[in-house]
Amino acid sequence: MIDEKILVWKFNRKSKDALRRIYEKYKDDLLGLAVTLLRDRSLAEDVVHDVFVSFARTAGRFTLSGSLRGYLSTCVANCARDRNRLKSRLDVGLDAVEDVGTDSDDPIESAAGSEEAQRLQEVLGRLPYEQREIIVLHLHQEMRFREIAEALGISINTAQSRYRYGLEKLRSILNSTVTK
Amino acid sequence: MKPTDNSENFVRRGKAKVATDPQMDKRVLDDSFAAMDETAAGPSIVRMIAHGRAAKIVAAAVIIIAVGLLMNQPEPPEQKPPNIGNVTKSPVEMLSAMSLNMAYRRGGLEAMDDLSNEAFEKLGSKPAGVSVRELLTGSNGV
Repeated sequence: MIDEKILVWKFNRKSKDALRRIYEKYKDDLLGLAVTLLRDRSLAEDVVHDVFVSFARTAGRFTLSGSLRGYLSTCVANCARDRNRLKSRLDVGLDAVEDVGTDSDDPIESAAGSEEAQRLQEVLGRLPYEQREIIVLHLHQEMRFREIAEALGISINTAQSRYRYGLEKLRSILNSTVTK
Repeated sequence: MKPTDNSENFVRRGKAKVATDPQMDKRVLDDSFAAMDETAAGPSIVRMIAHGRAAKIVAAAVIIIAVGLLMNQPEPPEQKPPNIGNVTKSPVEMLSAMSLNMAYRRGGLEAMDDLSNEAFEKLGSKPAGVSVRELLTGSNGV
């Protein structure tokens, strides 16, 4: 936590080294989050890129209220949501079928490699985006419901109910795949 | 324990471990450094006013106060020309004073009294009052 504060302090003094260290520290975590949310590696890379460029522009006037990881995760989630909306609109416009998994850069393949991780990515991909977002932010990024609700501009109750419904659906998907 | 028994643990364990590649790192860092350099100059006052709501309000308030002060500024007091009459004696008075002064130096109060009597005789309008000597005698008891 102190390291983080020092990094932010240096970052606010336009230290490129501090920015590099922040990027190095969180890049994989944030890319993983974006990949899980978007299920598209190139889109996820664009999201992380945009988030860090925007973050760099705040140098000199950045104030950190919570954790830096939580802040950056929120930025990634918000940016990913915008990308997802745009992607959905384009998909509807082209009447296209989701082609996740056909790309050689498929996040499922490039993930940890474990069957469990691949399976989770598949199951999460079948959840509505809003539910997937809450589950990932809470369980992967370890954000509290209050933080998530503030970041997404929704009430805590909404965040919790989305999480609950998401987990129920996830459980039912897993059960159905197990029984097949 | 099966994953389905505990969905939360399953999700936690299945977190994707994705690594960035050097190409992406270079692209992100180069663009981020460039973005940071853009802000290195610091915000100008105009930009601060244009982007900050509070700054806009403060700027508007300053302008209103300045205009108000200019409008309500009291007019400078008119400088009255000096009353020459209060400063400079008229020539007649000056001559009278000078002649009385010379008479006093010459012969004291008697000379002044004689001079005034002479003047009144010439003018023909000698008042019925007492002379200077009589006045001094009355007031000082001399």
